[in-house]
Amino acid sequence: MSDRSSKVSDEAVSRPPASEAPPFLLTAVLAIGGVGIAFEIALVRIFSIAQWHHFAYMIISMALLGFAASGTALGLLRNRIIGREATLFRTGALMLPLSLVGCYELSQSIPFETLQLATQPRQVLHLFSLYAVLSVPFFLTSWCIALGFLLRPATVGRVYYANLLGSGLGAALVVAALFILPAHGMPYLLAAVASGVFLLAGRRLPEAEIVAETESPLSRLTAVRSPLIRETPGQIAGYSVRSQGALPEQIGMFFDGGSISPIHRFEGSVERFAFLDHVTSALPYRLVASPEVLVVGAGGGTEVLSALYHGAAAVTAVELDAGVAELVASLAPFAGGLYGRPDVELVTAEGRGFLASRKDETYDVIQISLLDAFTASSAGVYALSESYLYTTEAISLYLDRLTGEGVLSITRWLKTPPRDAIKLFATVVEACRLAGLEPAAHVAFIRSWNTATIVVSRATLDDPRVELVREFAESRGFDRVYHPGLDPAEVNRYTVLEGPVYYQSALRILSAGSESFFADYPFHVRPATDDRPYFFRFFRWRSLPTLVGSAGRDWVYYVEWGYLVLVATVAQAALASLLLVLLPLWLLLRRRPGAPSRGAVSCYFALLGLAYMFLEIAFIQKMMLFLSHPLYAVGVVLAAFLFFSGLGSLWADRHRRRQLRRVGTVVALLAVLSALYLVVLPSLFNAWAGWTASAKVVASLATLAPMAFLMGIPFPTGLQTVADRADVLVPWAWGVNGAASVVGATLATTVAVHAGFRVVVITALLCYGAALLPLRGLVTE
Amino acid sequence: MKALTVFLSLVFATLSYAQETEYREARLQMVREQIASSLGGRSPVTDEAVLEAMRTVPRHAFVRKSDVRSAYSDRPLPIGYGQTISQPYIVGAMTEMLAVRRGDVVLEVGTGSGYQAAVLSSIVDSVFTLEIVEPLGRTASDRLSRLGYDNVTVEVGDGYFGWPEKGPFDGIVVTAAASHIPPPLVDQLKPGARMVIPVGAPFQVQALMLVEKRRDGTVVQRNVGAVRFVPLTRWQ
Repeated sequence: MSDRSSKVSDEAVSRPPASEAPPFLLTAVLAIGGVGIAFEIALVRIFSIAQWHHFAYMIISMALLGFAASGTALGLLRNRIIGREATLFRTGALMLPLSLVGCYELSQSIPFETLQLATQPRQVLHLFSLYAVLSVPFFLTSWCIALGFLLRPATVGRVYYANLLGSGLGAALVVAALFILPAHGMPYLLAAVASGVFLLAGRRLPEAEIVAETESPLSRLTAVRSPLIRETPGQIAGYSVRSQGALPEQIGMFFDGGSISPIHRFEGSVERFAFLDHVTSALPYRLVASPEVLVVGAGGGTEVLSALYHGAAAVTAVELDAGVAELVASLAPFAGGLYGRPDVELVTAEGRGFLASRKDETYDVIQISLLDAFTASSAGVYALSESYLYTTEAISLYLDRLTGEGVLSITRWLKTPPRDAIKLFATVVEACRLAGLEPAAHVAFIRSWNTATIVVSRATLDDPRVELVREFAESRGFDRVYHPGLDPAEVNRYTVLEGPVYYQSALRILSAGSESFFADYPFHVRPATDDRPYFFRFFRWRSLPTLVGSAGRDWVYYVEWGYLVLVATVAQAALASLLLVLLPLWLLLRRRPGAPSRGAVSCYFALLGLAYMFLEIAFIQKMMLFLSHPLYAVGVVLAAFLFFSGLGSLWADRHRRRQLRRVGTVVALLAVLSALYLVVLPSLFNAWAGWTASAKVVASLATLAPMAFLMGIPFPTGLQTVADRADVLVPWAWGVNGAASVVGATLATTVAVHAGFRVVVITALLCYGAALLPLRGLVTE
Repeated sequence: MKALTVFLSLVFATLSYAQETEYREARLQMVREQIASSLGGRSPVTDEAVLEAMRTVPRHAFVRKSDVRSAYSDRPLPIGYGQTISQPYIVGAMTEMLAVRRGDVVLEVGTGSGYQAAVLSSIVDSVFTLEIVEPLGRTASDRLSRLGYDNVTVEVGDGYFGWPEKGPFDGIVVTAAASHIPPPLVDQLKPGARMVIPVGAPFQVQALMLVEKRRDGTVVQRNVGAVRFVPLTRWQ
C-alpha cells in the first residue's frame, strides 16, 4: 500500500502517522479475539444457570453492543488517538483482564430476576445495568482489535484474520475447557489468559443440603436432599397413601439450578413405585404387555422405574447429559444402581440422534415424559428454545421405530389457557398423516389437571384397546380427551373446565377444517417442524388485546416469556445501536473531502453485519439437531465461521486485484452454496446421525468451511477499500457493522420463529445481494 | 388522684371504643364492598355464615402493626418469613367453596397469620391448622388463644402429609400453593367433603382447585379461578 497517502484527503495526510505497531500485535489480537469469544460462551453458560437460558441471546447482543460502542468511541476520539494507538492498545489490553473479573463479579451482584421483570419496574433498571456492565469487556476486546486495524492500516485483512482465528480457537477451547472447569470460573481463567497475572479462583455455593454435584459442558447438576422435595410426574390420582404406602424418599437433581428431576430411593424392589401407575404417563403400559421400552430423557430415572414397575422386559434409557449417569452413580447407596441393572441400558445421547443412529432397533413403548420442569414450562421460558423432539419429523421418526403393536407416549404439562397439549396433539396428528396412518384411529389423549398424555400406536386402537384406555382413565379420575369412539358425554368430567375445550380442539384438528382451527385459535398451535422447531412458542400478537382484556395486569403470566424477551431484545438492541453508535457517529464525524459516501459505507457494512449474523444464527439452529445441543452448536458454528472467515479475510488481503468485483462473485457463490445446504443438509445429517460426536464436529466444520471462507471476504475487502481512501471512516464502518450485528443476532431469531430457517437464510442472501448496490459508493464520493 | 384515674380510664375506654367502632365499620365496609359485591367481575360471596364470620373476625389483629391501617384493604399483606395474609375476598371465597357448617371438622394447611383459621372457627366446630414456619405457627397460636378462638388447634409441621390423627375432615383448605394436589390430603377427605387448594408454579398464576371426594370415592376437581399464593413450604 505504498500509494495509500495519495488517495486520502489532505487533512488526513497532514496528520501525524499512526504510532508504530507493537511487534506482537497479531498475536495479541489473536489472543484478545479468543478471550472475547470465550467470555461470551462462558457467559451463555453462566446465564443458563443463573437466569433462564434464552437470556443467552442477550449475551450475544451485549457483546455486539460492546463491539459497536468501541467503534463509536474510536470514531469520536479519532483526532485524539492519532499517534497514541499503541499506548491505547496496551491500555485496553491491560484493562481487559481486570474488566473480565470485575465486571463479571459486579454483574453477579445485580439483583436481576427474570420472573419479576413484569411486576417490578426496577428490574428494567437492573437489566440495563447488567447490559452496561457486561458490555465493558466486549468494548475493550473490540477496542483493541479496532486499534489493531488502525495500527496496521495497510493490512487490515491480516489483523482481521488474526482476530477471527483467535475467536475461532477461543470458541473451540472454551467448550473444551467447560469439561473441566465450572462456568463461573471461566472469567477468571480468561483473565489469567489475557493478563497472565490473575490466578484461577473458583467458588462454591455453601449449600448445606447439596449431596452431590457434577459439571458437564451441558449443565451443572446439583443433587439436593430435603424432605420437602416431592416431585411427581404429574398429578397422582386414585392412589391412597394410607393403603398403598407413602411415596419413596427423593433427592432432587437440579439442572443448572432450574429444572428438577427426582432420584428416588430404590432398594431393588419396584413394588414401592405403584404410585407411578397413577399418573397419566402410565397409559402406554395398559396397551402393551412386557414391553421393550425406550425412555427419552431418563434424568433421575422416574420413567425407568415406571417401566420396570410395569413389567418392562428391557429399558433403554437415553439421557443427553453425561453428568446424569455420573451423579446417579455417585448416589449409588440411595439410587440403588438403577442404571447398572442388566435390564436397563443407559445411553448418553440426544433422543432423536439416538434413534437416527440405531436404524434397526424398534421398541414396544417409546416414552417421552415431562422433559421440562413444571415451573419453567408454566413461565414459558422455553418459547425460544428450539426443540427437535416435538416436531412432525421427530414424531414420524418415533413412529417409524415402533414395533407393530408399539405405542409412542408423550406427556406434557398443561398450560392455562389450553395450548401446549393441543399443539402436541396437532403435531402427532400431522405426523400420523405423513406416515400414512389415519390419525383418528390411532391416537388417544387423556389429561389430569396438570398433565396430558398422548399415545399413538402404529396398530389401530381397536375396541379392546380403547376399553383399556377407558378403564385406566376412569379408575384414576383422568379425563379422556380423545380416542376412537369417545362419547361426547364422557368428556370433561373429572377436572372440569368451563367447556370441553380440549375435546373440541382435538376434533377440529382431526377434521378437514384443521387449517381454520389453527388460524382461529388464540394461541399458535400449528405443528412444529424442523424448519420452525419452536414447539414452545404459542404467543400471537393478535390475541394480546383479548388476553389483556380478560386477565388484566396478570396477562404477562399467560404469555411465553422467552418470546417477549426476544422482542424486547430486538427493540433494545436497535435503540441502543441507534443512540449509542450511529447517532454520535453521524453527528460528530466530520465529512472529509474525497472520502467515500457515508451512506454507501453505512449501507454496505450494515447489510454485511445483518447477513453474517443471519447466516450464523441460522446455522447454529441447524447444527443443534445434528450436534444435539445448543452449546455444541454454538461452539462449533462460531469456531467454524470465525476461523474460516478469518482465512477468507487473509486470502482477500493477499489477493487485492479487482477486489470489489470479487464481492459479486462471492455473493453468487454464497447463494449457490446456501441453496445447496438447504436442500442437501437434512439428508446428510440424517445419514451421519450415527457418527461419534467428534466425527460430527469434524463433519460440521468441513461443511461450514466453504461458506464461512466466502463470508470472510466481503467485510475486509470493503474495509480495506475504505481504509485506502479515508481511514477516518474505518471506525465508522466498524461501528455500523457492529450495530447491525447487534440487531441481526436477535432479529434472525425473530424471523426464524415466525417464518422458519429457510427464510432466515434467504434473507441473509438478499442482504448480501443488496450489499452489492452501495459497493461502488465505497470508491467514489 | 382517684378522679384523675377514673377520668383517664374513661378517656382510654372512649378512645378504644372509638377505635373498635372504626375497625368494625371498616370490616362491615370490607364485607359489603369487597366480599359480597361483584367488584371487578368477581362472583360475590353469598353464604351468610361466611359473611357473618368475616364481619366479626378482627382482621387488624392478624396483621403486622405497620399494616394495621391497610388491614381491611382489598389486598394481601406481608406477615414476614415470605408469607402473606390473603386478600379478604380470597379468604371469603375459599371458605364459601368448602361448604362447611356447624358440626364440621376442618383442616387448614398454612396457618400464616391465623386469620383464615379464625374465620373458619366461627363457622365450624373444630379447626386443625398446620404451619411449617415455626415462628409464624407460634405467633398465630398465641394470637388465636388471646382472641378466644378456642376451637382452633395450631401445630407446627409439614402440611403436605396433612394431620391423619385428626382426620378425616369435612373440609381442607390449603392456603399456600403446591405443585400438585398432595395425595395424603385427598386421603384425609371424608366422602362428600371438599378441599380448596391453589396449585401451580410458585410466584406465578396458580389454579385455585376445588377438589371434591364424591360419596363413591371418586375425586373430581374444578379449576375455580386464577390466584397467586406464596409457595407451600420452604424451610428457610
